[in-house]
Amino acid sequence: MNGAHQTWLVAARELRERGRSRAFLGSLVLMLLAVAGAIVLPAFLDTGPGTKDVGLTGTSPAGLPAALQAQGGAVGTKIRIHRYDTQTGGEAAVRDGGLDVLVVDGRQLEWRKRADEQLKAVVTGAIQLVTVRERAEAAGMNPDDLLAVVQPLAVTNVGLGQVAGRSPDDETAAFLMTLILFFSISTYGAMVLSGVVEEKSSRTVEVLLARMPARNLLAGKIAGIGLLGLAQVAATAVVALVAASLADSFDVPAVRGTVLVWAVVWFVLGYALYATVFGALGSLASRTEDASSVTGPVTVLLVLGFMVSFAAIGSTEATWAHLVSWFPITAPLAMPNRIAMGVATWWDPVVAVSFTVATIAGLVVLGGRVYTRAMLHTGATLSLGDAWRGAPRPTRSNVPTVIETTERKEEPVVTQSTTREARTLLILIVTAMVVGGVVFALAGDFVVGVGVGAAFFALTRQALKVWGRRSDHEADTSRGRDREPLHQ
Amino acid sequence: MLEFDAAAKRFGSLQALDACSFTARPGRLTGFLGPNGAGKTTAMRTLFGLVELDSGAVRWRGAAIGPEQRARFGYMPEERGLYPRMRVRDQLVYLGRLCGRSTAAVNRTVDAWLERLGISSRAADRLDALSHGNQQRVQLIAALVNEPELLVLDEPFSGLDPLAMTAMSEMLAEVASAGTTVLFSSHQLDLVEDICEDVVIINAGRVMRAGDLAELRAEVPQRIVTIRYRGTAPDWPRSSSFQVVDQHEGEARLRVEQDADLPAMLAAAQRTTEVVSFSYEPPTLSELFRQAVAA
Repeated sequence: MNGAHQTWLVAARELRERGRSRAFLGSLVLMLLAVAGAIVLPAFLDTGPGTKDVGLTGTSPAGLPAALQAQGGAVGTKIRIHRYDTQTGGEAAVRDGGLDVLVVDGRQLEWRKRADEQLKAVVTGAIQLVTVRERAEAAGMNPDDLLAVVQPLAVTNVGLGQVAGRSPDDETAAFLMTLILFFSISTYGAMVLSGVVEEKSSRTVEVLLARMPARNLLAGKIAGIGLLGLAQVAATAVVALVAASLADSFDVPAVRGTVLVWAVVWFVLGYALYATVFGALGSLASRTEDASSVTGPVTVLLVLGFMVSFAAIGSTEATWAHLVSWFPITAPLAMPNRIAMGVATWWDPVVAVSFTVATIAGLVVLGGRVYTRAMLHTGATLSLGDAWRGAPRPTRSNVPTVIETTERKEEPVVTQSTTREARTLLILIVTAMVVGGVVFALAGDFVVGVGVGAAFFALTRQALKVWGRRSDHEADTSRGRDREPLHQ
Repeated sequence: MLEFDAAAKRFGSLQALDACSFTARPGRLTGFLGPNGAGKTTAMRTLFGLVELDSGAVRWRGAAIGPEQRARFGYMPEERGLYPRMRVRDQLVYLGRLCGRSTAAVNRTVDAWLERLGISSRAADRLDALSHGNQQRVQLIAALVNEPELLVLDEPFSGLDPLAMTAMSEMLAEVASAGTTVLFSSHQLDLVEDICEDVVIINAGRVMRAGDLAELRAEVPQRIVTIRYRGTAPDWPRSSSFQVVDQHEGEARLRVEQDADLPAMLAAAQRTTEVVSFSYEPPTLSELFRQAVAA
């Protein structure tokens, strides 16, 4: 039996089974609707504020209504004029929302709450214009000549991005892309995790592994779910583009072909990296409830990576932002937004891709070994260390084992493990301080240094706990103590 | 022919398999017996590459077992398990295709078995919608989807009701009669005695007895004499030539040497009670098992 063919069969099963599950289809439709809605709805709502109701009361210049409509038309706002005999009548209309603004005696604007800045500019401009015209006439000047003199120059506003050639829209695009990458990677990574745990907890895995090597099963699962993820990301993008072009009101941020291609590449790399880790760690848990505690540290890492990448959008020039985009754990989120921001040189992605691919290759080897050894283990959640060394299995407890279990509570063992724990902790603290110090030196920001040091400490400690959950019981492991519950 | 040749496997301090050698022949049912923790599951997992041997070998038709051979093996693990939310037929076809068979061939096999076990009407249902008994049937078909040359079942009778047990044993006999080598483990010694031609008894990873069941029984130097009587229990004379195993409610069972003086025994019994029947037989599988494991 051809390994590639088996891997394909596994991937095809994932695509078929998940692709037609109601939960998946439901969430897909919901997401597409949400994306389309988010783009199209503002366009519909936009027609409302396009018309403004302006009330006039008291004495107002004769040309004011015409001037108001002209000024409004210049900024794309239709102005409806209402006249009120009394100021109180007009004010009542403002209060109940019938009027956006009431102009009293041509010199006082009354709003319901706060002034609408655009409308205020329109109304004020119209009043100024009409007043200038009236005064010119009174002074015997040709009002049109004067208007030509005082005609304001059109001043345009341009938002400067952090980098030449990139606008704030590009920053928004970069942020959205990071967000979508983060959600896609974590969603589909979690699917791999739950798939692995499902196979293990339902004991389907023994039937499967009797027919194919563990690496084919894991590779097929990751590939199948990855393809599904890619399809969903692509569908979302297409729906977003179509909705944007239909609605026309949405300002599609400058989307460049190369940036989109890189986003896809980084989804694939980021997903491959995290899915491998999730798959390997998922094999340690025997029940769905244990899965999240086993993968907790990795999830924290992923969220941290997202936050750091997000922070990096604001300070692309900082050394730490540059390093974060190279570092394999954060690169899948940080590098694409550097590319979108246009701050990446041609060799930046090359370095990041090489680092990440190398890391994935390493993880596939390590994860494959852990997965292969842990998948057939039953009973309590395995520690990473045990899985690495090869879990004792598969027989049931027998009498000699029970005797050994009672012997195990010896004082020296406890003391030894306590000193070892203290030493590990000390080493960890020193290392964390060094890491924090280096980051502080590079980033020039003390808070960031402390933060990274603390995060390093917390994560490493958590990882060590997972690794050595049973390192105290090493004696048992070396004696092949059986951890399985009694069957039957 | 399946052949274990001095297979050895150690888990830490536990010697799961210890110079384990035996064979299972095509067209025959081989019962694989042993107390819990004797190494039965480990031995079976070895065949599917789920356990790697420290030393020794397992061979199928004289060749070392690799993926090519395993594609023609069927396996029902002790811990039953299939995808709970996958449709029955899809699941079975998927497992068959993993063995490298064409979709058409797998479809034929799966449909034939679904029909044969009376669950074709449930083929499009999710597995977890089926009753426990029907799930067991699906599990069995999962082991048969590739029309295996070697069928290995770990405790196929555990958790079955008496009717299902009969159906299962008939099916195993049917599969074996088609030329398949069938190896299964069980604790139901009476059942094994009824349906198996061959048995392998292992204890602590070592093979204690292996071979044709009738021959194994005949080889034992002891015989069992069963006397049924009416009235008071026989008053046996003190003698080293036999040993009372069990005596109550009109029946006495005695263990004797193969060359015991049967007429003298009968006469001794008749002196104190009225004998209804007298039989002289080789020990049952249960007795064989107890002896083998106690040794």
